[in-house]
Amino acid sequence: MANLETQKLDNIIASRRALLVSGGAAALAAAFIPKEAKAVSYASTYVPADVDILNFALQLEYLEANFYYYAAFGVPITTAGNSLVTAAGGVNASTGIGVGPGTAATGATGSIIVKSNPKVPFATTAVAAYAAETAVEEGKHVNFLRSALGSSATAQPALDLQTSFVALGNAIGVANFDPFASDAFFLIGAYIFEDVGVTAYHGAAPLISTTTTGKTYLGAAASILAVEAYHGGLIRSTIKNLDPNNANGYLGYTDMISAVRAGASLKANPSAPNPDDVGLSSAVVTATSSPTTVSLAGTSVLSSTTADTNDAAFKIAFSRNPQQVLNIVTNGNALTALTKATGLFFPSGMNGVLS
Amino acid sequence: MDTIDFLVKKALSRRAFMAGAGSVAAATAIAGCSDDGTVALPVASVAYSDTDILNFALNLEYLEAEFYLYAATGKGLSTADIGTGTSTTGTGAGTTTAGTAIPGLTTAQQQFVNELADTEQEHVRALRAALGANAVARPNLNLTAAFTAAATAANTLTVPSGAQIPASFSPYTNFDAFNVGVFVFEDVGVTAYNGAAPLISPAGIAAGYLAAAAGIMAVEAYHGAAARTYLTASLIAAGGTTAAYPYLAYANQIAALRGLLSGGTIASPTGEKYLTTPTGTAPYTTTLPTISSLVPADANALAFARNTDQVMHIVYGTFSNTAGSTTPTAGVAAGGFFPNGLNGNIKVTQS
Repeated sequence: MANLETQKLDNIIASRRALLVSGGAAALAAAFIPKEAKAVSYASTYVPADVDILNFALQLEYLEANFYYYAAFGVPITTAGNSLVTAAGGVNASTGIGVGPGTAATGATGSIIVKSNPKVPFATTAVAAYAAETAVEEGKHVNFLRSALGSSATAQPALDLQTSFVALGNAIGVANFDPFASDAFFLIGAYIFEDVGVTAYHGAAPLISTTTTGKTYLGAAASILAVEAYHGGLIRSTIKNLDPNNANGYLGYTDMISAVRAGASLKANPSAPNPDDVGLSSAVVTATSSPTTVSLAGTSVLSSTTADTNDAAFKIAFSRNPQQVLNIVTNGNALTALTKATGLFFPSGMNGVLS
Repeated sequence: MDTIDFLVKKALSRRAFMAGAGSVAAATAIAGCSDDGTVALPVASVAYSDTDILNFALNLEYLEAEFYLYAATGKGLSTADIGTGTSTTGTGAGTTTAGTAIPGLTTAQQQFVNELADTEQEHVRALRAALGANAVARPNLNLTAAFTAAATAANTLTVPSGAQIPASFSPYTNFDAFNVGVFVFEDVGVTAYNGAAPLISPAGIAAGYLAAAAGIMAVEAYHGAAARTYLTASLIAAGGTTAAYPYLAYANQIAALRGLLSGGTIASPTGEKYLTTPTGTAPYTTTLPTISSLVPADANALAFARNTDQVMHIVYGTFSNTAGSTTPTAGVAAGGFFPNGLNGNIKVTQS
C-alpha cells in the first residue's frame, strides 16, 4: 500500500489553497484567497497528480454508489442482471459495474459489510424514485471515473455500511441507526454522504492540472460536483418536507450530523470555517439550533437552510481538502501523520495515494 | 479584509462566464470529456476582459436577486445596491418591473423564498463591491411580461408531461408557480458555470477563481434541486396526473424552450433533461416505481454546460433578429428579461 513517501505526501496535502498559493501567482493568491485559507499554517510545493485526485473521488463514489444500490436495489454495484437495476436504467446492468484495480493501480478489492436484505422497504413513491435515480447516477459516476482513469483506476476498498452507521447513530442519539430501515432513515443516511461529496469535489477541483488532459478531468469533476449538489439539494428538501417543524426530530438529526462533520473537518484543518456545515433546522427552534434571520428589504426575516449549505456570510458552498474529507469518512482517524486513515466507512482505508 | 478578499475572489470567479469567449481547444476538451450527451459548446471569437465578464455575471445576479426579493417581500434591491452607472459602465440604474410578494405562503415556504432572496442579494453585493467603480448599474429588468412572453412561447411546445403553461403565467401567484420561476433561472446558472470551469486560466485557478466558481455553481445546483424536487413531489402527492397538478409540465415546457434557445430540439433539448412523473404502488418492499429526473445530466450522470451566447439567448428569450426564426444566431442584443439588453460589453450574441 502506501509507502513512506506517499504517506508523507498525503500528510502534506493539508490545504488545497496552501497548494494553490505555492503553485504560482503567489501575490495574486495572497490577495484573493478566501478567508478560510488565511490561517493555513504550512504550504508545500507538492501538487497531487490528476490520477490521484480522480482516484480519491472514485473511492468516495464506490462508497456512495454501493450505499444507494443496496438501499434502492438491495444489491451491490457489482451485481449482474438484477431486474431492478435494469428497469431503473443502471449502467452496465447486465454485467455489473467493475470494481477491480487497473493494471497500474495498487490496492486490492475489499469486501462490504452490510446488513442482510438491505433494500429499503420504501413507503412512499417519491423517496423510492429518488433513491433509484440517485443510485443510477452514482453508479454512472463510478463507471465514468473508472473509464477516465483506465489502467490507473483503483479498486473498490473494503466498505462498512453497517457498523459505521451504528456508530454515527450513537453520535446523534439514535440507537442502532439503520439507514436501510425506512424512508426517513434512508434520507438521513443519504444526508450523511451528499454534502460531503459536494465539499470534496469543490476542494479537489482547483488541484487538477491545467494540461489538456487535466482540463478534461476538470470538466468532468465540475459536472459531477453539480450533480452531487443536486443530490444534496433534493435530500435536504425532502427531509424538510417530511418533517417541516422537526416534530419527528429529523431536522435535529441533520443538525447533529452536520455538527459531527464540521467537528471532524475542523480537526483536520483548524483554519477551516467553523462550522463548515449547516443542518436543516436553522429557522426552527430546536434543542440544537436557534432561528436564522436575514435582512430583506430593510426588514429582518426568518430564513431556512432548506435549499443549500453555504458559507453564512458569502453564500457560496463550503469546500474541504482531502484530509478533511478523510477525517470525516474515517471518523477522526486521519489526523496521524504518515499513517493511512482507517475507520468508519473505510475499515481498511482507501486505495490510492490520497488515503 | 476577509470580506474584501472574498468579494474580489468571488467576482473574478465569474470568469466562468467566459465560456462564450474562451478557447476552442478548451471547449473541445469539455465536449470530449463525455462519450455522449455532453453539450458541444459553440465558441465566439470575441475576447473580453475580466471586468466585462464580471459585469455580465452582475447583470444576471441583478435579475435573480430582483425576482426573489420581489417574490419574498414585494420590494427589490435597495438604492445602494443598484448603482448609478457611467458611460462605460452602463446608462444609470434602470427600472425593474416585477410582481408582488407571493400571497398565502406557509411559514416554511416563506422561509425558503427568503433563503433564495438573501443568497442572491448577497451575490449582487459581492460582485458590486469587487467591481467597484467599474460595476455596471442595474439594467432595465422585466420580471412580469418576460415571464408571460416565455410562457407564450413555451405554451405550444409538446413535452412528454403534456399540459400547457398558460400564456398569462405569473410566478407570483402561489408557491407552485414560484417554483416554476426558480426552475427558469437556477438550472441555467448551473450550466453556465459548468461550461466555463475548465476555461479558467492557470493564474485564475491559482488565484482561487475556480474554487469560487465551483462553490457558486454548487449553490445554484442545490437551489435547482430544491425546485425540481418540490415540483416532482407535489405532482406525486396530487396523484401523479398533470390534470391535478400542472406545474411540473409547465416547467418541462420552459425546459423545452431553453433547450431550443440553446440550439437543440424538443426531443433533444440542449442542456436540459425533462422532469418525469414517478409512478408505482407503495410499499416497495421488492419493487420500485419508475425513477425520477431530479438531476439534469447526461448519460454519464455529468451535469450539462452552456456558454454565454446560449445563456443570453435564454434570458433575452430570442433566437434571432430575424422574425420567426427558431435558429439561434449572432446579433441578438436585447429582449425578454432584459428589454434594453445587458449593461456592459457582453450583451450581443456572437453565435
